[in-house]
Amino acid sequence: MGIADRGLPGNVVPALCAGAFCLLGMTQVLAGERLCVTDDRDRAVCLEQPAQRIIALSPGVTELLFAAGAGEQIVGAVRYSDYPEAANDIPRVGSHTRLDLETVLAMDPDLVVVWVSGNPPDQVERLEDLGLTVYFSEVRNFEDVAHSVRRFGRLAATGAEAERAADSFLDTIRTLGEQYADADPVRLFYQIWDDPIMTVNDSHLISQVIRLCGGENIFGDLERLAPRLDRESVLAAQPEAIAAGGMGEDDESWLEPWTGFPDLPATAAGNLFFVPPSTIQRPTPRVAEGAGILCEHLETARERR
Amino acid sequence: MSAAEPEARSAGAVPAAPGLVRIWPPLLVLALIGVGSMLLAVAWGSVPIPLSGLFAVLTGDAEPLHRTLVLELRLPRVLAAFGTGGLLAVAGALMQVLLRNPLADPYVLGLSGGAAVGALGAMLVGLGALAISGSAFVGALLSTVLVFGLAHGTGSWTPTRLLLTGVVVAAGWGALITFMLVISPTERLPGMLYWLMGDLSYARSPWPSLTVLLLACVLIAPLGRSLNALARGPLQAATLGVAVRPLEWGIFVAASLLTATAVITAGTIGFIGLVVPHMLRLVFGTDQRLILPASALAGGSLLVLADIGARTLIAPEQLPVGVITALLGVPTFLYLLYRSR
Repeated sequence: MGIADRGLPGNVVPALCAGAFCLLGMTQVLAGERLCVTDDRDRAVCLEQPAQRIIALSPGVTELLFAAGAGEQIVGAVRYSDYPEAANDIPRVGSHTRLDLETVLAMDPDLVVVWVSGNPPDQVERLEDLGLTVYFSEVRNFEDVAHSVRRFGRLAATGAEAERAADSFLDTIRTLGEQYADADPVRLFYQIWDDPIMTVNDSHLISQVIRLCGGENIFGDLERLAPRLDRESVLAAQPEAIAAGGMGEDDESWLEPWTGFPDLPATAAGNLFFVPPSTIQRPTPRVAEGAGILCEHLETARERR
Repeated sequence: MSAAEPEARSAGAVPAAPGLVRIWPPLLVLALIGVGSMLLAVAWGSVPIPLSGLFAVLTGDAEPLHRTLVLELRLPRVLAAFGTGGLLAVAGALMQVLLRNPLADPYVLGLSGGAAVGALGAMLVGLGALAISGSAFVGALLSTVLVFGLAHGTGSWTPTRLLLTGVVVAAGWGALITFMLVISPTERLPGMLYWLMGDLSYARSPWPSLTVLLLACVLIAPLGRSLNALARGPLQAATLGVAVRPLEWGIFVAASLLTATAVITAGTIGFIGLVVPHMLRLVFGTDQRLILPASALAGGSLLVLADIGARTLIAPEQLPVGVITALLGVPTFLYLLYRSR
């Protein structure tokens, strides 16, 4: 039932997907030869021919495109686009917070994939004004990950590979969801940043992963998507387990300060867990990997009761 | 700063009526520098365009890419940079006349802070571009009224008291800005920080800043003599027949409008208003009829040149232009100050 995070019964989701595909199919017929998909702002994005020169304006979008089999077609990416390995060799167009519009234009892209909540709106508007084809991407949940991969596959004419990647991602998530559907809840504090200490609320993809694994985000009710906290409020909330990322894929230093509080339930039980940040903090198919890691950690916490 | 003080104080020591002959040659030179810097800025970007390509843009048969780069990306941004730099420098020059204090500057006196709080507040609430502009102007004006009104108070006011009020109000705005940054959504922080450091990639249309700058220069031009008198002190100015209070308020409102327009165009750039008028006084003396238009030209050129650096130094990464203005301006200013002793 992990898929049911948006409150939909599990069996409705495939039906919805099928419906969306019928719709897409019709759009294609109506538009003649053009390739059309709907982006995350519900706009139609249409191409005369499959995308050959794509610019990806966030590290996450780059990963989604690679997952959709369209990695070869990426001609420009932003700083920190480091996965998969091949992404490191893609020429840069600035950082996601500030783009070099001249370089973007000079690359003559036929598709620019924008990160709605990460890229500066004024610069994105400029890209549209300059006549570039823009796809707005804002991935908020598991379904969005799968949809995005499928849509990118359609736009780049690598549909078969994209379908396989999306299906396999949803399968993994579904399996995990079924496995932990009846697991005892574990009260978890998830730390995404160290200074200041930051966590996520229930609208974040990470919270979806926590629920999938039968965990409960102790700060899920806070209003902001990524609230800043002090150490006191974490201690007061008495989490049974703490999970954190770090500055790299094996930097566990963010967990160390918590060992100084032996009375904290999480510390007392030894439930201080590391999750490689790039596997769970980027909304990409790799979340399936991160979810697997977090689910195992929570299971360990249950065994230690 | 103390070294510059006699300079500002001696403002009135300039011969009362230097002929037009003494004003035009420096302005002509500065105008040429301005045009030169703008040409350089249009020709130079993170994507190299060969000279032949640039000429092709002029004659109209250029590659579409070159046309777009030059006409749609670089030209509007360069013009906006010139307008913004000019606005800030003129605002600074006006404030320095008003307060007879070399430390005066829209940034120091809290005008930029007020405008920034207005604009950031409107952005946080999610208002449109027009409301952001209006809100910034209201913020700057509120700052003006606060500073000028409070410093006047009941008794007499001195430039020192005015300056102190301004510095305190600016600190208050600074705290409000920090507060707004802390409560704003994390994903919008980088954009807001760039804006606070001054960033011309926000500049979409150069016309507001250029229009206001031109209007200001035209309106201020006939006031040159009165400003020269005011720079000697309000008593002397009154003796010479200048209506001191209206002129002071006029200067403050004008400086608010100039600052707000600059802040809306490119965020808060803190350096130009303070340093450009000083540099010009060190080189050309203190006749306001020369200094004010010269500030417009030199401030504009400085920001245009700085923006070239912001766009290209670590391209494709982009720098906030405020960083470059300070890096360019500080050594130049220190050198001029040292030489003037």
